[in-house]
Amino acid sequence: MDLPSGIRNYTYDRDMAIFRTKTHWSMLLILFVILGTLPLYLDNHWLSVANLIGITIIAATGLNILIGYCGQLSIGHAGFIAVGAYTSAVLTNRLELPFLVGLISAGLLSGFIGVVFGIPSVRVKGFYLAISTIAAQIIIIWIINHWESVTGGFNGIVVPPAKIAGITFVSQGSQFYLIIGIAILVIFFAKNLARTRVGRAFIAIRDNDLAAEVMGINLFRYKLLAFFIGCFLAGIAGSLLAHWIGFMNTENFRLTESILYVGIIIIGGLGSTIGPILGVVFIRLLEKGISFLAPTLESTFDLPAGFTTGIGPMVFGIVIILFLILEPRGLAHRWQLFKASYRLWPFSY
Amino acid sequence: MDELLQYIITGLTVGMVYALIALGFVFVWKSSGVANLALGQLVLISSWFTYGMLVQVGLPAWIGLLLVIIFAMALGWITERFVLRPLIAQPILSLITITLGLAYLIEGLVNFIWPKSVAALPHIFPQQTIHIGTAVVSMEYLLAALISLVLFILLSLYFRYNRMGIAMRATADDQLAVQACGIPVTKIFSRSWMFACVLAAIGGVLMSSIGGITYGLVHTGLKAFSVVILGGLDSFLGAIIAGPIIGLAENVGGGYLTPLTWPGVKDVIPFIIIIIVMFLKPYGLFGEERIERI
Repeated sequence: MDLPSGIRNYTYDRDMAIFRTKTHWSMLLILFVILGTLPLYLDNHWLSVANLIGITIIAATGLNILIGYCGQLSIGHAGFIAVGAYTSAVLTNRLELPFLVGLISAGLLSGFIGVVFGIPSVRVKGFYLAISTIAAQIIIIWIINHWESVTGGFNGIVVPPAKIAGITFVSQGSQFYLIIGIAILVIFFAKNLARTRVGRAFIAIRDNDLAAEVMGINLFRYKLLAFFIGCFLAGIAGSLLAHWIGFMNTENFRLTESILYVGIIIIGGLGSTIGPILGVVFIRLLEKGISFLAPTLESTFDLPAGFTTGIGPMVFGIVIILFLILEPRGLAHRWQLFKASYRLWPFSY
Repeated sequence: MDELLQYIITGLTVGMVYALIALGFVFVWKSSGVANLALGQLVLISSWFTYGMLVQVGLPAWIGLLLVIIFAMALGWITERFVLRPLIAQPILSLITITLGLAYLIEGLVNFIWPKSVAALPHIFPQQTIHIGTAVVSMEYLLAALISLVLFILLSLYFRYNRMGIAMRATADDQLAVQACGIPVTKIFSRSWMFACVLAAIGGVLMSSIGGITYGLVHTGLKAFSVVILGGLDSFLGAIIAGPIIGLAENVGGGYLTPLTWPGVKDVIPFIIIIIVMFLKPYGLFGEERIERI
């Protein structure tokens, strides 16, 4: 189905492989070459956009495992990212631990807090879960804002740059390699997770959790595992975000940011590996385009002063609504359609 | 002891307003099964619209407030017609996320039209204070509670005796049966959205005439969720009883816990209650426990 005609598989291994044809492998190679040389021809500004895209892909992939595969709606993702960011910031700044320790413990702490707030998911779903994750976000941000002795409160906290084995990641270019490297690992992990027992259990729970339970899937374990994995990746993304910006306060983790994450994976397409990537690139570039165009438009057409701040959320809101009405399966579905038509071209029948 | 009475009276009155906003949610949930997460933003935009009418245009209060009600009804109608109707019979996940998109859109609109972050409404209510026992309560709070109470009574009468009200209750019970009886279900949906928006608008005006218009109004809308969760999603009575409970917990708890913890604990208590209710009794005090079949 996903392959051109004439490809035969003689072993089970080959049938299960992600990259199957020479074209696949060469396209992967081209992608790696492009990603590897990207810092050479992008200036710092666009590299920072690429870094933000990379970080958002990690977080959105986590959310996609939670919502897209396991069907557990979470609107507190920015809160879990904040947990990761502050864990890493506090460990590396106040305790002066190495970056890698901060990164891993950011993921773990975020994951555990996600599990705690995910416990209601065992008994409730849908709206109830959405509300309890919103509550989680508000409680987390409140604690971060007021636990000043540790987190720096409203004043924020300075985060030292990432450092692994003597290499310090200061410039946008070097951070790009770090972030993209981790993002590729995460995408690879997510792609494979979906094909294992765990991933299939998630999908069964999403489609009908009672039926899944009857078939012998331990709901308690797998739902909480989904929360753990989703929030673990959020924590990793948060840690990278903290070290990338170099300064943290809770302005980065507002409730609207959580909503944006849900929007990203809706726009990208739920329950596919490519979906979050497409969604993130789409939203972040749209954001970039708006922040580039809005001031110009405002000054040329003499628009009211709120235009620049208001247009962004308005456009995102409209995009989310339009995608849900017109293309609920997201960009990933469009991408599949495109691939199918291109493979059969010019003889589509 | 003095302050306890003060906290209790403030809590009860504010809680009534929360209950009013929460009622709007319950309407929509019961009739169409849509979870309206844009509640806070609906409160926000109606308060700003009130500001626009009363301060920027300078209309007298009664015309302005009438226009706010009409605006809220129009908003509800537009929302239902153009955002939610295309999604009838879609999975709950889409229904929830589309209201999130709506929330985003409304927030952008508010930023766009009213770029300032804080504003004060002119005083709609008299400013005197009343002494109840040892507590000093301003008229505004009492009137807000009174208005909410009157609205509760009117609404329950509407649902008890009006044809449309009865049809709405019937829709909540069984959509297919109602359709078979020849009642236009889409009309009921749009009616329930109009109700939700009007109640959010009244709640918004009451809250912002007391505390001014800030972004915190979105949190007022979010606190209405804790009322809904505590009372049970599909229970009018639950919302009316849980509202004052949340108000009480917020004010009494906030008053006594702030010295022990950090400032602002008042605004977090409703969300902590949500988490506790989720753990102990997820369907709330009066909510109907859904028994699912495969």
